[in-house]
Formats: sequence, C-alpha cells, structure tokens
Amino acid sequence: MIEPFTVPFMGRALTEIALLALICGPVSVFVFVRRLSFVSDALTHTVFPGVVVGFVAGGIEGLFTGALVAGVLTAVALTVLTRSARLTDDAATAVLLTAMFSIGVILVSRRTSYTSDLTAFLFGRLLTVTPRQIAETAVLSVVILVALALGARALLFRAFDPAGAAAAGLRIGWLDLGLNIMLALVVVAAVRAVGTILVVALLIIPAAAARMVTDRLVLMAVAGTGLVLAAGYLGLLLSWTASLRYGVALTSASAVVLMLVLAYLLLLPVRLWRDRRRPALPIPLPRRSPHELVG
Amino acid sequence: METAALRLAGVSVGYSGTPVVTGVDLELGPGQRLALVGPNGAGKSTLIKSVLGLADILDGEAIVLDRTPARARELTGYVPQTGNLDSDFPVSVRQVVMMGRYRRLGWWRPARAADRRAVTEALDRVGLADRAGMRFGLLSGGQRQRVLLARAIAARPRLLLLDEPFNGVDAVSQEAIVRVLRELSADGTALVLSTHDLAVARDLADLVCLINGRQWAVGGPGETLMAEPLRRAYGSSAIDLADGRMVLVDL
Repeated sequence: MIEPFTVPFMGRALTEIALLALICGPVSVFVFVRRLSFVSDALTHTVFPGVVVGFVAGGIEGLFTGALVAGVLTAVALTVLTRSARLTDDAATAVLLTAMFSIGVILVSRRTSYTSDLTAFLFGRLLTVTPRQIAETAVLSVVILVALALGARALLFRAFDPAGAAAAGLRIGWLDLGLNIMLALVVVAAVRAVGTILVVALLIIPAAAARMVTDRLVLMAVAGTGLVLAAGYLGLLLSWTASLRYGVALTSASAVVLMLVLAYLLLLPVRLWRDRRRPALPIPLPRRSPHELVG
Repeated sequence: METAALRLAGVSVGYSGTPVVTGVDLELGPGQRLALVGPNGAGKSTLIKSVLGLADILDGEAIVLDRTPARARELTGYVPQTGNLDSDFPVSVRQVVMMGRYRRLGWWRPARAADRRAVTEALDRVGLADRAGMRFGLLSGGQRQRVLLARAIAARPRLLLLDEPFNGVDAVSQEAIVRVLRELSADGTALVLSTHDLAVARDLADLVCLINGRQWAVGGPGETLMAEPLRRAYGSSAIDLADGRMVLVDL
C-alpha cells in the first residue's frame, strides 16, 4: 500500500495533496458557513483565462502568475459587485463566471495543441508536479494558514451574524474581500495539480462532509483535512492500480475527487441518523397578541 | 460621567441619501429605557442602526455617549433579531456569547479566564447557563434571543440597543428578558428597544418615541401611548371602536 509512493512522481503527488489538505480543511469550513460554494465555483472558472494567458506567455511556469493575477482580480470584482447591492450575489457571480470562462476557452482554442492544453487546464496534472511547484504550494499554504489564524474570529462572527459583527465595529467589506482573496489563493495553489474544474471539490466537499458528523467548527476543519488526505492517498492508489494492473486510464486528480465524493455519500446516512436522534425542539408558549386595546 | 447616553437633535436617518425617518428629537439619560414604537416598516431598525453608525445620519446631530455614533461603538451593545440568523450554523451557545468579548480580545489573543467568566456570568443572568454547550440553532426562538442578550451583556455596554427583542419570543423568555433589562438599567445601562407591542412599551419604558417615517410623539408612556398620538402615528391601522377605545392592526 505504501510501495507506489516510493516512486518519485507518486511521492510528489501525495506531498502536493497533503499540502492542499492542510489548507482546504479549514478554508472549506468558511466556504461552508458563508455559503460560498457558488463563489468558489466561480473563482475556479475565472482563474481559467489567467491560467491560459500565463501559459501562453511563460509556459508551464507562467501558469502560477497568470492564475494568481486572475484570482485576485476576480476576488476584488466579486466583492465590489456583490457589495453595491445593484446585483444579487448569484447574478453577479454567474455573470463573472461565464464571462471569464468564455474568454479562457476563446484564448485556449486559438492554440494548435488545443485539446491536450484544455484537458491539462481543466483536469490538472497531478502526476507531473515538480519540486518547485510543491515549494510554491507550501509558501501559499503558510500564507493562507497565517491569514486564517489571524482572521478566523472576525470571519466567524461575520458569517454567523453580519449585523452584529458590523455593530461590534468589524469592517464587513474588508473581511469579505479577505476571504475571497484567500479562496482565490487556494484555487491558485491547487489549480495546476487538480485543474480548474476539480479544485472546487477541494473547497466544498471537506467541510460539507465533515458537517455530517460534527457540529463543531474546529473538528470540521480537522476532519476536512483528514478527508482530503485519505481521499488523496486512496485516489492516487486507485489510479495507480487501475492503470498498472488493469490497463484502465484513470486520471489521478479525478480519482482523488471521486474518493472525496464517495466519503460525502458514505457520511450522509450518519447525518440523517444524528438528526433522528436529536430531541424535538421545545414548543414555545403562545405569546400575547400584538393587537392591542388601548383606552 | 456623560450627561446623556443618547442625544438626537433634529435627526433624519436613511440609506444612500434617501431618508427613512425624519425629525427625531430626544434625549436619553444613563439607566433610562427608551421604546421606539411604530408599525412594521416605520423605520425603527434604521434608527437603531444609525445610533450604531451603520445607517447614515442625513440631517441633524446624533451624540452617543458624548461621541459620534461610529466612535461610540466600543461602548454600545446590539441585540439583532434572531430570525435573520442561520439555525444550522455549527456554533455553540458559549461561542456565540464569547463573540461579545471579541472586541476586547482583538484579532487573535486567546480567551482568558476573565473572558470565560464574563461569558458564564452573562449566560447565568439570562438563565441559560445549562445550555452553554448546546448548538445555538437547537434552542427555541426565545432562548436564542436570550443568548444574544447574553452576548451583548458579556461586552458590558453602557448603551444597549435591541431590535424587536420580543418578536417570536415565548412568555417564559419574555419575562426573563424584561427582568434582565430592568437589572441592566438599574445598574446604569441605558436601553433603546424597538417594539410594536404597546403593552411591553408601557410596562418597560421610561420614554416612548412614536415613529412612522417621522417622529410623531416623544415622552412618557402615559402621554404617548394614548389614542390621539397613536392615531396620528399609525394612521389607518388604528381603528376606533364604538366604546371609545381603539385597536391597532399591523397590516
């Protein structure tokens, strides 16, 4: 079970997943409590044109910069668009998502190696992760974890009760921008390994699955990290075994995401069982009528 | 000691330049209890938000604890309506009350014994110390309101603003909240609460401000919660009965 990971490229793939697991556990908790699944999905798509431009300009190493610029720009645009309240969150996010993704597809379709490039951008290249990429992911992971440690308290308050948080003096706009940028950084960190489509699974599923078994935020983050680690290990092992023993070409990143989805499905009955065990809510006593007789 | 907890002089409040409530003139001393009374959509919440510095003061002057509203935030407490909160949010009662200490704790300093004690005391005061470990969303509406009151108490504010604290609240919780509010004001905390329940306003408030788009009357409950001022503030929602009494219908 350990042997495949002694092969250098498998070891590097697992290391990359482990680093991503460290950040995706805690970050996905905030995606979950802020209900930012759609925003995360949008970010993964809007990073796409940046990835393509970066690749055209600087080859595989240019991907990182391109994704970073596009990710941060999207984070700012999303925060500004949804804050002005002229558009609903959903509409603004959807407009940005489709516009940027179309630009990405137009850009990539002008290249001669269109199909292979598109596949790599969309589904990643987990098995060709280089030590330099691992180092970049490690740096981003540290930045994200430090930012989360500093902002967790304020982000939690804002997620639970925006009006109360604003009344307590927290700057909601800046907090939203901070979290959106953090999501963009996770996307940038993960995009080369698992691709723009599958990275969204790493941002949404860990906390959503962990929520099935616990009500506690810290445990959700820890369990989320554990889930990504386990899915990474099992997914890589599965794709290795499938292609070597049975000759089935199973993309490693897809196998990892499949394992995550499987974990979610397996934990679903646990949530249903826990809900059934929970005592019924106390029925409030009837209050006095708001209709008042006055003399 | 400041002369007034809250002083509004010819104040108009609203959002993006559009007024919601105009012509508010009132003064609230330390330990006094003010009820903002008016029908739904009268602008009670907007007036409360303006005192917290979260809605715009378009005209007039608002002084909160001798400061501008935004600068007074560290001395004011706020109890929002519980209906807007996500009941599936994975947070415990204790964590919610601890949010009241966040301003003192800053961004990252861990909670100390004094913070934990303040949280326990606040929960004890609203009668929910035994629910500290429970998930917030599993409590009844009235209990949630009491937890939010505990969160505000844990911050030890000198002016406490409550937005419809008795909406959807059962009789037991309403009694508990009224008792705590009386204790707080006896300790010198000034209170502002919005309500459309005239019985609560009459029972609890030293000062009543009738609003509906503008201030219609301000004064003691004995002079404001009477047929004539209510008829002016509520308009067609105030229906005269044949025996000289009047019923208010929130349409």
